[in-house]
Order: sequence, then structure tokens, then C-alpha cells
Amino acid sequence: MENVDIVINSLVSGVLLGGVLALAALGLSIVLGVMGLVNLAHGELLIAGGYLMVFVMQPLGLSSLLALPLVAVLMAALAWPLQRYMLQPLADKPPESAMMTTFGLSIVLQNVYIMLFHADTRSIQFGNGVSSIQIGPVGFGRIYLIGFVLSIVVILAVHFLISRTAFGRDLRASASDPVAAAVNGVDVRRVHGWTFALGAACAGVGGVLIGSIFAFTPISGATYLLNAFAIVVLGGLGNIFGTLVGGLLLGVLQSLGGLMLGDGYRDLVGLVLLLLMLALRPQGLLGRKGG
Amino acid sequence: MQTQIKPAAHADAAACRTIAYSVVLLAVVGFPIVVPGALSSYGFEVGFRLLLLMTLAEAWNLLAGYGGLVSLGTASFFGAGGYMLMGLMNFAGLPVLPALLASAVAGAALAALVSPAVFRLKGLYFTVGTLALAEAIRLFMINTSYFGGATGWFAVVDPPSVQVLYLWAWVLFVFATIVLSLYVSSRLSIALKAVRDDEAAADQVGVRVFRVKLLAFMTASALMAMAGGLQAVKLGAIEPYGMFGISWSVDVLSVVIIGGIGLRAGPLVGTVFIVALSEWLADYPDVHLAITGLILIVVIRCAPQGLTGLAISLWRRRNGRRTQTGRADAAGAQSALERG
Amino acid sequence: MTVDSSFKAMDGQAPLLQVAGLTKRYGGVVAVNDLGFSLGKGQILGVIGPNGAGKSTLISMLGGALQPTEGNIFFNGRNITATSAASRARLGIGRTYQIPRPFLDMTVEENLLVPLYARSPFANRKIVRLECRALLEKTNLVDVADWRARDLPLLRRKRLEVARALALKPQLLMLDEVGGGLVDREIDELIELVRQVAPETDGIIIIEHVLRVVRECCSTTMVMNFGEKFAYGPTEDVLASDDVAAIYLGSAHKKQGRAEGANAAAQAGAEPVPDAALSQASHGLDSIVAPPRTPSGEAAPELLRLEDVCAGYGQARVLHGLSFGVKAGQAVAILGCNGAGKSTLSQVIAGTIKPTSGSLRFDGADITSMAPHRIADLGIAQCLEGRRIFPTLSVEENLLLAARRVAPKEQKERLDAVYRLFPILAERRGQAGTSMSGGQQQMLAIGRALMSRPRLVVFDEISLGLAPVIVDRLYTALDVLRKAGLTILLVEQDVERSLDLVDTAHIVSHGNIVLSGSAVEVRNHPGLKDLYVGAGHEEPRESVCV
Repeated sequence: MENVDIVINSLVSGVLLGGVLALAALGLSIVLGVMGLVNLAHGELLIAGGYLMVFVMQPLGLSSLLALPLVAVLMAALAWPLQRYMLQPLADKPPESAMMTTFGLSIVLQNVYIMLFHADTRSIQFGNGVSSIQIGPVGFGRIYLIGFVLSIVVILAVHFLISRTAFGRDLRASASDPVAAAVNGVDVRRVHGWTFALGAACAGVGGVLIGSIFAFTPISGATYLLNAFAIVVLGGLGNIFGTLVGGLLLGVLQSLGGLMLGDGYRDLVGLVLLLLMLALRPQGLLGRKGG
Repeated sequence: MQTQIKPAAHADAAACRTIAYSVVLLAVVGFPIVVPGALSSYGFEVGFRLLLLMTLAEAWNLLAGYGGLVSLGTASFFGAGGYMLMGLMNFAGLPVLPALLASAVAGAALAALVSPAVFRLKGLYFTVGTLALAEAIRLFMINTSYFGGATGWFAVVDPPSVQVLYLWAWVLFVFATIVLSLYVSSRLSIALKAVRDDEAAADQVGVRVFRVKLLAFMTASALMAMAGGLQAVKLGAIEPYGMFGISWSVDVLSVVIIGGIGLRAGPLVGTVFIVALSEWLADYPDVHLAITGLILIVVIRCAPQGLTGLAISLWRRRNGRRTQTGRADAAGAQSALERG
Repeated sequence: MTVDSSFKAMDGQAPLLQVAGLTKRYGGVVAVNDLGFSLGKGQILGVIGPNGAGKSTLISMLGGALQPTEGNIFFNGRNITATSAASRARLGIGRTYQIPRPFLDMTVEENLLVPLYARSPFANRKIVRLECRALLEKTNLVDVADWRARDLPLLRRKRLEVARALALKPQLLMLDEVGGGLVDREIDELIELVRQVAPETDGIIIIEHVLRVVRECCSTTMVMNFGEKFAYGPTEDVLASDDVAAIYLGSAHKKQGRAEGANAAAQAGAEPVPDAALSQASHGLDSIVAPPRTPSGEAAPELLRLEDVCAGYGQARVLHGLSFGVKAGQAVAILGCNGAGKSTLSQVIAGTIKPTSGSLRFDGADITSMAPHRIADLGIAQCLEGRRIFPTLSVEENLLLAARRVAPKEQKERLDAVYRLFPILAERRGQAGTSMSGGQQQMLAIGRALMSRPRLVVFDEISLGLAPVIVDRLYTALDVLRKAGLTILLVEQDVERSLDLVDTAHIVSHGNIVLSGSAVEVRNHPGLKDLYVGAGHEEPRESVCV
């Protein structure tokens, strides 16, 4: 019976963690789906959220819940000029150029973090106390639940934004046929700017939550980037619910992998999954072909 | 990614130039070996690094510049070569040269193994896939005690002196240069260029696309693996972070793009520049890397042909070849208009 | 209704190419339907037909780029239906692309070396280079041998296309619309090239719009329409046939449409609309049709004015100084066969292609270099060629997208007006935009254009690929809109229907306007049929597609 308990614990924390992972991947998914941009600096954007929280929000004494939307807004504000002045001018070049530029950005950001914040490991204190919750045989840190709930809220909010608002219509139209969208009055360049900002905002918030659950360093971004990629490929690009499902799945698989093979294998699980998906079914479990 | 600017009418002149520069380069780089005491021990260290990076850059340029296969997985083959060499030297007692050749085989074999999966990935997915591969291998090695886990392996034999290592690095670099030169003037390079330019059209005219890509991939991977092997010899102790670390993939990519991707001299120019920069900023490694990233961004935007490309167009302009540049520019501008 | 003359296979030998039951379906759309024909050794076959007839789909299936949904292809008696494109190339099937696709960053010589080496990977380098030289001489490209393909002008690019296909020593050579975009002199050269090349191959298929090429090179011609084989026989007979002329001019529908009537309508999902419903729709159109401010018709000011507009893609110059105007409240048609420049013109007006010279003015404002979304804001709406419905948006969302910066109440009013005009859209409002049939998507495209309450709407080839009954329905709606005062610019292939609707028409050929006048004048012009199909052996120099 004890083994079953451990497995159930593992599953539950996997699901909860998966929600947070899904949020962390959301920004990447949207940007890739709408702009066709592989943002290799996505991991660094996640970490940026973490640093914003530690060095800006907490010193200001803001409560964690209030700080989150502020982090989102700040990330959007910082990301918008990046897209406008660094990526937009590359619109006429082949897509590798934009991707390599984000790669350059990730190198710059990583090292700027090291210069400003040093290579120390940091973590975020979210809310009061790190108490655990115990429901029957299942126990997990309270932060897992908070993280999960907040992630779901944000994911649903973004889904609402994309599927019910005028901006969301513009975004979806730009993603499937930018020329036809422009002819129908959509300012596609502006949509791209906002999309990138939205992606960065989601990444920032996701980063805060991840930073509350795990510690992070200036170079943690790469691992999270690949995890996010695995989720995006699992769920199909630009597909919000797909990203959620992908995240939950990855969370569970990571948990089980860690349980069965050892903790060091958690990240490996994600990578192997990514490679398998890319090779066998790049459109994702839920996606359509031609992504 | 673009290729040589020079029109082929001047192909012969270009070939001569390349040969001349190569000879000069090899001489300059080789002379410290011949003239003992010309460089301090530290100089040889830097030289070793320079030559190793040049070898890697040439290999990466073959893949990404000539083949259009932008890979972030250099570390996979580098590390594979290193471990293969160390393993053979430690457990089979092989001397360096056969072990080095074996590591080349290891690199090529790994490339062949992953190619069916990795070549299915088109465009940007290929890049992400290679990145994932490198990371996956690294994590795997950390967790597998058979390969020494996170601690890795220690060489049974002491590493040779830095002068000897420099010599070997020089030999490897010469070998890589020869391979690249042979390749660039062969019929394979024409097929690969066609695949890079327009895979569907190449397919339609009968090119065996998979084989062409595979050959380039295996060649590049073998060279990368040999570089990894040499690094292993030098270090005397290898572990996953150092051998499969992403920094190898990052450095190589930066070097080639800044130097000039797809150009024969690109990797050389880029390596010299980056190594010089890192020596100058040796006390501030983060600043050095941050600046490298910035230069990368700027180069992609303003000088897509890298430093070499800039040099070529400056030289052309000075020699009054305005018409050639003009036509190339016009065509480039027009192709930007060619949007459906 | 086919002009048929039976084709006898060369005695005993398997034909070079045999196609049976070839069909290609994309979801609900049938691009090619049950096509069958043979090509014997030594034969040059022409394939013609209006835009959307399935010609390009056919050649893609023959070349291996597309897999047929049904049917078989036999090459020298061997079934190659499942063979890959590269293998077919090595077997001896060569093709050119409609828009030349040379390897842009390689020289002309290198472009030819690719297939030469692909065919004989281990041949001696000197021998291959000699072959290359011979090929360059044959296709008259020696003087540009070391130019980059990117720098070649259009005719040279087409020659390079042919040369590259020839490098594989193909038994079957397929030329896909090589004549497009060329002037007369260049077409002479092209025809000469085809004649020279013919003895090197065992058979040629020429897909063309430029009928002169077909007339002078092909012994047999096949006409395709709606993805089917419409006619097949000796070239002269086929081109002289009235039925064939009719499918280009669009009057075929008059005989077909009424007879098939309800059956086709039920299949296509468009309900035949009794006049009562439409007259109901014509009320309350103010929300989507902005009535012209000043007097309309002859006395009205020009809403849209093009002056000396030249435009093209890359090396191809398509429009050569086009000038015309559209007055407020008018309906104007731009007609012309394919390759004439109609779609380039629409794209220039929409702002997706910038003219290289000349100017466009809309209501006084200079829109020559304006971005497409700003042109849309000014009040020009586009009903794009190919419809371009957004698949990830529902029908209603597709419509709402176009009603920008408008209060929700007014959005609803506009939606209602569109739904009254096309009730089927209301029924399907929540469904994905592309889940409907072609005709319904076209209605959606028209409705979407109207949602911005435009002052001018450009309708680009709305009849393309649709059954006559559906097109009837669409044009009835257009008539209602016209009567309500909408300014219309109609870019069309279907001459008959357009002339029924509009006040003025311009015929475009080779990027110039060659005929202008009122609908009546143009319809009764003696050269009209010549303009499309060409009659007899004397082609008047002003005539167009030939």
C-alpha cells in the first residue's frame, strides 16, 4: 500500500507542477503559433520574471498576489521594444535570422544576469510559510497548489483573450494568413508586437511560479526552454488547451520518471519526449498537420 | 543562409586567393611549432584553443553554411568523440592517433544514427531538435554510472606537453581545412547547395537529398568528434558538463555567424576575432559573452555575411567593382519584393 | 459535349504516358476528376483550360509532387503512381515550374550541373562539363553561364528552367506555362526552343495559356474544365471549336446551368433564391453599403484612379503603364485572359504589391505606397482571389474581423444585413470558416468585404472554380449591391456575366489595356472572341492572348 501512496503522491504533484509548466510554455506557444518565431530566449524571459520578483517586487514589500500582474505588465513593457527594434526589422529575412537573434539575446541576458545578480541560486518566497498540505495519503507543498491554481487562471484568461476578443480575432487571423488579414484591415506588425509582449508577460509570471517551486540560477533558462518546447510540440503550436494538456502530461511523466529512475532523470524525460514527438508527430497530439 | 558573393566568373581568381591565404595561414599558425621558444606556454594554450575552435567552426560551417542545417548540437559530437577517445585510451590502452580516428568514427556513427529522425525536422525544428539532442545526451551521461556519471573519467596516461598538443591541434586543423577544401570543390557541394537553396526543386531534379545531407552531417560530426577527442587528451579528465556543455554549441555558432557563414574564410576570421576578444576580456568572462551575444545580434541585422562579407564588399568597392555589387544589391532588393 | 477524335496508340508499343481515372480531392473540393488520356512516343500534347481547371494539379501529379487521391499513372508501361518525384526524375520525367524556381544563389552553370551530376554521380568531371556546355548552347544561355540565377531576366530564367529539365535527358518533358509574361518576340524564341528540343525527348506535354505556343508546337490538344477532360483532339479542331471558346468566355453556363439546375444546386449547397427573398435583402443594405455622396454615374467624380501603373514580381514585369478610373457608384469590369495581369492589378490596388512606377489615388488620397491595412481603413474592401477565408475563425468571426472600430450595435446591424443577403451564412455562423463549400466560402468572402461598409469593393475572380448555378447566385447578389449604390470593380475571367453586370469594361492583355468601352460596346466588339481564343491563322496584332 505504501508504494501506491508514493505513486499517487507523485501523480498529484506531477499534475500540479504540470499546470505551472504549461503556463511557462504558453508564451513560447503563442509566439511560435502566431509569428512563427522560435524564441530561444524564452527561458531567459522566464528567469527575468523571477529576478523581477526578487529584486523589484519583494523589496517594495508588495504582496505576492499583487506583484504578479505587475511582473506581467513590466515584462510586456520590456519585451515590446525588443520585438519592435530587434525582431521586426528582420521581417524580410529568412526565419533563421530571427531565431539566431533570439539566441544572441539569450546569451546577452544570461550574462547580464550573472553580472547584475551573480551566479547565486535564488528562490522566491511566495506567500506566507512553506507549509504542506495533506489530503488523505497525498501530501505536497502548498506552493504547488497555489502555483497550479494561478497558472490555470492565467491560462484561462489568455484563452479568453484569444478566443473571445477582437484582438484575439486579429491574432488568429494574422497567424493563419497575414496577407489576407492585412487586406482586411489588421495591422499585422502591431499584432506581432502585442503578441510578443503577451508571450513575455506569460513567461514572466510562469517564471515567478517556477522560481517559487524550484530554485533558479542565471543559466537555468536552457532547461526550461527545452521543457517548454516539449510541451508546445506535445500540444500543438498555438493551441492553448493543447499547451495545458501537454504541460500536465509532462509534469506527470517527469514525476513518474523521477520516481522510477531517479531524480536526475526528470529533465531527461522531457527531452526524450520532445525528441520522440519531433520525430514522430511534430504536429502534436492535438494539433493539425502543417504547423 | 547565403553563400559566396563573388560571381563565378572570377572563380579561378578566387580559388587562387583561397589557396594563397590558406598557405599563409597554415604557415603562420604552424611556425610556433617549428621555431621553439617563439611562444610562451600560455601562448600555446591559447593557440590550442584557437585551432580547436577553428576546426569546430569549419565543421559547423560545412553543416550550417553550405548545407543550411543550422545545428545547436555540436556538443553531442564533441563529447562523443571525447568519451570515445578517453574510453579507448583508458580501457584499451590505445595510443592517441588510433583513438582519435576511432572518435571520428564515433562522431560519424552518432550522426548516422540520429539522422533519420533529425532530418525529418524541417527548418527551425531541426535546430531545436539538435539542441534537445545535445542536452539529452548530457543529462544521460550525468546519470549513467557506466560513463562515470557526473564525475566522469580520469585519463590513465598523463597528457603530453602543451607544445605537443598544439602540434596535434595544428595537424587536425590542417586536416579539417583539406577536407573542407576538397569538399567545396567537389560535385557534392553543388548538390548540397541545391538542397539548401530549394529542397523540393532539388528533389525534383533527381538529387538524392537524404544521402547528400547525411554525408555532410557525418563529415562534420567526425571532425567535431576528433576535436572533442583532442580536448579530452589535453584535459586529462572529462565529465559531462565540460564535454557536452552547451557552451561548445554556442561558441561555434557565434564564431561562424560573426565571421561569415557560408564563406570559406568565415570560420577562421570569426575564431580569431572571438578568441582575441576573449583574451582581451579574460578577467571578465560574463562581459565577454554578453558582448559576443550583442555582436551576434548586430551582425545578423546589419552584416549577414559577417566580418568576412564586410571585408569583401569593402575590398570590392575600393577596386571599383561597383557594377557587380550593384547587381547583387539590386537582385537582393528585388528578391525581397518577390513575396507571392 | 466534347470534341473528340479517337487517339490510336502507336502499334504494339506501350504509350509513353498513360493516365487512367486520375482524381485529386482536397476535402470537399475536387481539383481533378477522373481524368484519362495517353501520350504516344513522339507526340507533343497541349493542355489548356481556364484558370482553376486543374492543369497545375495535373502536372504536379504527373511530376510526383502531389499524390493523386485515385487513379493510376503509367510511364512506359510501368505504374509510377506511388513513385517519388526524385525517382521519377531519374526515370526520365522532367518538368519546369510555372514560376521559374532556379537555385537562385547558384550560377547558371551550377544550376545545370546539379541534375547532370544527379543523373551520373560518378561520371568524369570533364565529360559532365562538356555536356553542360552543350546544353547551354542549345538553350542559348552560354553568355550568362556564370551569372547567378537570381540576376537573370525572365526569359533567360525560363530557358534555364527548360535546360535544367533537359539535363536529366528526360523521355517525357512537361512544360508548365513557360509562355506566361513574355512578349511576342520572346514567345517566338520560346517556340523555336521547343521545336529544337523536341527531337531529344520522346514526348512533351505543354500546359499553356498562351495559345500561340500550343497552336504552333502541339499536334494534339486537351482542354480541361472543372478538373475534367472537356475536349481532346487535333489542335486546330480544338481551338476552332465554339464550345471551347465558350468555356473561356463563360457562356457555357447558359446551356449547362439551366439544365442541371436543382441537382447541382443541392450538391453545392446553395439554395436557388426566389426573387422575393432577395428583394427583402435589398432593404436595409445601408449598414453595409455606403451610398455615394455626390451624384453617381457619369457625372460623378472618380473614386479610384490609376495612372500609368507598372508593377511586377522580381524579374517579371507584368503591368506596363495601366491607366483607368472608377467613378463613384459605377460598376467596372477588368477582363482578360490569364497571364494578362489581372491578379497583379488586384494586388496593387490592395497594397500587397507596390507598383514600380505610376500612381494610385483613392478619393484624392495617394495610396500608391500605403500599407494594405491603411488602404482598407480608407474604404476599399477586397474580395480576394481564392477567397482567403481564415480557417481558425468561425464564419461570424470572419465577418466581425472586417468591421473594425465600430460600435457593437452597428456591428450587429451590419451582420444582420449580410445574413439577409446570404442566409446560409447565418445558418453556419458558428462553424469554421473553411468548413463550407466553395460557393458558400465565396459568399462569406463577399460578406466579409461588405462588413467594413466600404466605398469601393474589388471582387477578384469570384467565379473561379465554382459551378454555374452558384455563380448565378453570387452575381444576383452583386446586382442587388450595385443597385443599392455600391461602387464595384470586378476582376473577372467570365466575360459574359461581367458584361451583364457592369457599366464599363476594360480588357487587359500583356499588362496593357487593349480595349475599353461600355458593356454594350465591348460585348459587340467583333474582336472579342479573338481576344480570348484566337480565330484562324491571321492574328491581328492587337489581339491579346495569342
